Amino acid sequence: MSARGIGGAVLDRGVVPLLLLPSVILLLIILVGPFFYMVWTSFTDLSYSIPGRDGNFVGFDNFRRLMRDDPIFWDSFFLTLKFVVWVVSLEFVIGFGLALLLYHFIEKRRLVVTLLLVPMMLAPVAVGLIWKLLLQGDFGMVTYYLRLVGLLDIRAALFSDARLVLPAIMAIDIWQWTPFVTLVMLAGLMSLPREPFEAAVMDGARPLQVFRDVTLPMLRTIIALVLLLRGIDAFKEFDKVFILTGGGPGTATELLSIYTFRVNFKSWDLGYGATCAFMVYLVVLILCSVFYKALYWKEGRAPAARARS
Amino acid sequence: MSRAWRGAALAAVLAILVVALTPYLWIFLTSFKSRLDALADTPVWLFTPTLEHYPTVFLDKGYLPLVWNSVLVASSTTLLSLVIGVPAAYVFARHDFAAKEDLFFFFLTTRMAPPISVVVPMFLLFSALGITDRPLAVILAHSTFNLSLVVWMMRGFFADIPREIDEAAMMDGHSRAGMFLKVLVPLSAPGLAATAVLCFILSWNEFLYAFVLVAFEGRTLTVGIPGLVTPHGTLWGQVAAVAVVATLPIIVFTFLVQRHLVRGLTFGAVKG
Repeated sequence: MSARGIGGAVLDRGVVPLLLLPSVILLLIILVGPFFYMVWTSFTDLSYSIPGRDGNFVGFDNFRRLMRDDPIFWDSFFLTLKFVVWVVSLEFVIGFGLALLLYHFIEKRRLVVTLLLVPMMLAPVAVGLIWKLLLQGDFGMVTYYLRLVGLLDIRAALFSDARLVLPAIMAIDIWQWTPFVTLVMLAGLMSLPREPFEAAVMDGARPLQVFRDVTLPMLRTIIALVLLLRGIDAFKEFDKVFILTGGGPGTATELLSIYTFRVNFKSWDLGYGATCAFMVYLVVLILCSVFYKALYWKEGRAPAARARS
Repeated sequence: MSRAWRGAALAAVLAILVVALTPYLWIFLTSFKSRLDALADTPVWLFTPTLEHYPTVFLDKGYLPLVWNSVLVASSTTLLSLVIGVPAAYVFARHDFAAKEDLFFFFLTTRMAPPISVVVPMFLLFSALGITDRPLAVILAHSTFNLSLVVWMMRGFFADIPREIDEAAMMDGHSRAGMFLKVLVPLSAPGLAATAVLCFILSWNEFLYAFVLVAFEGRTLTVGIPGLVTPHGTLWGQVAAVAVVATLPIIVFTFLVQRHLVRGLTFGAVKG
């Protein structure tokens, strides 16, 4: 016992959880504090652009305005939902499809996966920049080839056409994040035990039946996790859109985070801006708790699936 | 499976690789193109490379300090998150206490918190503390998500180490702290390294916090990017040079931690 020293003896008396304190305190100051200040601000009329509105308590006025009198917020909200549903479903279908191809047909899949990592690890701002160059109207490389094969009208300019700009933004997000789905689904596929597949084949099941009745049910937790992770991230999307269009033309690509940014930093309407920010937080928090639940479906107790590639 | 199927699959995978990699290849090429080649109506694939853009943008236009700021911010937040996050992860892996899983969920929510929601009050807080426009502001902001990444990832890595090893180390006369530092930390070194690299990447790539919290002196590389794009007469060669410097190190890092990447990006839910 003496060899442990005083420090060890103290720690052993159940003081170990104190090691949590530094991280908890840091988060309380830097994140939780600002969070509650944001909640408080959403009940005030704080504005940096209108004189006299210096943070007086206004009750639920901001929330009433948000619910009743702000169609732009709701346009932006549903635009964000549309964005999330489209990009997440397409990323999932393409990404999972690619994972299946790699799993069943390609021997050198490690190399392929390595190369696929490139888009998803680039800074989103850099991705926005790269695509801004590729999709330039006059000299963009992708614009040129799209026109060459007739997919894009010669006069069409992607970033100033309200009908084309949203699909373009979605395509860029899909370009960046499909590899993530592939990466995770491939890890999931490789972690599956072999026996159920062998049993199904012995019973004479055809490949599609095996996929539907064996593969999919066994992967359902991982599928849920991937969809939720991508959903949360897509809901928060800011960087790429900010640099590509800034929300425009008009409000054609004004996702919720961009709108919230505009209310806060262009109109300097901080009270109402906090209300919008609160709504974004709320949605993310809900998705986040579903994600946490999904982690626990897997093993019943501690999160973390045991898979190896 | 028949040969034809295999061939079709290979073709599809190759096509996807081309789509995934060409955009990056293009920005890389553009960073070595003369202005004329960069703005050509018909895409130019073969050209005489020029090296002028890199010195112009980093030395003459003063983008070099931004690289330094990015390095400073990313390594500091990584260090801070590891120093206070690793012990916390150890507690989660080895000890039971009241509301443990609730606290663990709290860490997850900090990881997921939308920056746009908290960046305004955070800015006001840092103004009150007098640290806006300094790298410290961004370092602290980035620690909010990196800290929980460390806690979540390292809990899993510690949980992978059998408890018998703790007990054996204690029998050998190590104190609990000594056992943690001299036995558990070295055993989880690969996971620790992967976590550190991932923290570094996430901080390096982050934009919104850095953009709002610093305006001049403390700007990181990602914050410098929007300023390069102007409505007319954007100098794409220089833009591309900045983009390459902002991304190439990250790609190299990614390849280093590939083995643990899935685990890091799914909060330990899936081990790659």
